Amino acid sequence: MEPATKVQGFDEEALSALSSSTLFVEALRKQALEEFLALPIPSQETEEWRYTDLSDLDLSFAPFAPGGDAESLNRGKILQAAGVVGERAGLQIQRNSEVVSTQLTEGLGAKGVIFGDLDRAAEEHPELVEPHLHALVPTSRTKFTALHGAFRTGGTFLYVPPAVTVELPLQTLTYLDADGAAVFPHTLIVVGQDAEVTFIDRYVSPALSRALSVGITEIHAGAASRVRYVSIQEWGDGVTHLGVQRARTGRDTELRTVAIGFGASLARAEAETELAEPGGFSEMLGVFFADGTQHFDHRSLQDHVAPNCKSDLLYKGALKGESRAVYSGWVHVRPDAQKTDAMQTSRNIVLSDRAKADAIPNLEIEANDVRCGHAASVGPVEEEQVFYLQSRGIRRDEAERLIVFGFFQEVLDRITLEEVRDSVSHAIEQELAGEG
Amino acid sequence: MTETAVATATLEVRGLHASVEGKEILKGIDLTVRQGETHALMGPNGSGKSTLANVIMGRPGFQVTAGEVLFKGEDILGLTTDQRARRGLFLAMQYPVEVPGVSVVNFLRTAYQSIKGEGVSALAFRKHMKEKMNMLAIEDAMVSRYVNQGFSGGEKKRNEILQLAVLEPEIAILDETDSGLDIDSLKLVATGVAQLVGPNLGVLLVTHYQRILNYITPDFVHVMINGRIVKSGGEELAAELEKKGYEELRKELGIEENGGDAA
Repeated sequence: MEPATKVQGFDEEALSALSSSTLFVEALRKQALEEFLALPIPSQETEEWRYTDLSDLDLSFAPFAPGGDAESLNRGKILQAAGVVGERAGLQIQRNSEVVSTQLTEGLGAKGVIFGDLDRAAEEHPELVEPHLHALVPTSRTKFTALHGAFRTGGTFLYVPPAVTVELPLQTLTYLDADGAAVFPHTLIVVGQDAEVTFIDRYVSPALSRALSVGITEIHAGAASRVRYVSIQEWGDGVTHLGVQRARTGRDTELRTVAIGFGASLARAEAETELAEPGGFSEMLGVFFADGTQHFDHRSLQDHVAPNCKSDLLYKGALKGESRAVYSGWVHVRPDAQKTDAMQTSRNIVLSDRAKADAIPNLEIEANDVRCGHAASVGPVEEEQVFYLQSRGIRRDEAERLIVFGFFQEVLDRITLEEVRDSVSHAIEQELAGEG
Repeated sequence: MTETAVATATLEVRGLHASVEGKEILKGIDLTVRQGETHALMGPNGSGKSTLANVIMGRPGFQVTAGEVLFKGEDILGLTTDQRARRGLFLAMQYPVEVPGVSVVNFLRTAYQSIKGEGVSALAFRKHMKEKMNMLAIEDAMVSRYVNQGFSGGEKKRNEILQLAVLEPEIAILDETDSGLDIDSLKLVATGVAQLVGPNLGVLLVTHYQRILNYITPDFVHVMINGRIVKSGGEELAAELEKKGYEELRKELGIEENGGDAA
């Protein structure tokens, strides 16, 4: 395990130790640091942070942890920790605070696809990065997004030019093994008109005594583009994960996102889609499984700004041990968003009487010709189902296992990437087999 | 199915009393069903027929206050439902349960392995299931669907019969398998059951109506009213009931309408 650097905490001195790739980035950092210092730690008294208490969060993390040089880097080991990586059009590995490797299939570069370290992209393609970086998730959003804006290093930039279809998925693997460090993964995706791409973000770490990850994903999906984005959060115990993902769709865009959460001690994951132009479609799937004393706070927003858009959200989660999960989802239909068709469904299966889940749907509808619906449920495995399976000779534990798998199957059936389905099935299997 | 001569499995219900939420539903049931026999248990709604079926299988929510249920000589009331099933009992449910995300074939394979042991190969299971599907004229599409999800009433009951065929129990209880079916579905389900009836299977057919008995000829007919079996006989008893109705039989036997005791 790499020891983190000696510097701890986040102040001007710590910031001055970081290099900035461009003047734009430097200015962004300075402004964000001011915001960070001025903003309070979010209070549980606000609706947004009601379910997660960070008031005691000790911010004495190391702001930078090296990724290691090429020799000390055991890429095989990192990949192994990340599970199966299927065939890729591009793969980037970030270890701790640094991008350590980037690969892109030959030919895609020639088509104008840009994929790599966000800082390098800021230098080489300022015209693409500057208008988009923190355009959807401003640094001033919270104390933590400000912290991210100030101290982010590494990160991923993906640009797909108009009318280019990238057949195979691209992926960034963010691997954290510096105990006591804070990392700030950032994924900025810009997809041109009528282009098509699939991107996978995977976050992996061993168990650590403590670490912080404040991640941001911004997806600018152009008109009539088809974008699939999958995030897989598998941090080890000890990691506090605070993630914000926001996408904006263009006219007739088809955006499909999947948020998978199994790891971290405390994970707060916000996923938002702004349907900014007519005819957009946003599918938002979520799968999570909490055990031990894990605390999950999932929030979603389907923000219908333009008319004739459709959004469909389905989150499914299971809880074991003494874990705690809250899902709160918003559907916001703005005054111009006539003919909106929005659905939001949250289902939670609670496998232990010491675990607790809540599902809180919220609709805010300001247009009058819309179709909106929501459904939420929290409950144990249904005894009727257990009895039915037992009456066919299946033992109780096996019956519950089948039922929980079946519970997740509805989401798995909608995940188009087979390897993601397989890896989620495998993770569920392990969660079910594990203690507590 | 193998036709080896083994000891006949017997289900014996002796002096069984059972309650739901403190209310006594079964008031002393004695009934013996042997492998190879078909018994029809008939009675009006609320007579306790379904309670008997569920208590035998161990559904939660029923309290046995007296009596015993023996299967192959062993008192099974202390066993879990899955243990009872693995010993060779089967209950076709009145209201088959939906199990979202679990395909019929996966469900059946898991059940089959639980009952027959781990040594069953996937291929052997497929072949076995396919044979039963052909026998019952069940199309391939049905078994890849999720258990009972989006099934019509008829499909749900046919799925129960498929499970019965695949799992090969020694004694099967069919709880109102005929209820809620139109005549075409009833015919499909009943002829399916009729094909399974034979020396290896004992059946306790719980029904409100006589119409399923047009397809399945019972060896014994029992009439249950107010938690008791008030009359037993042969196949002719069903015809008699059809003619008279439960009301007349009740009067004839001097049973009061509201749960009162026989005079």
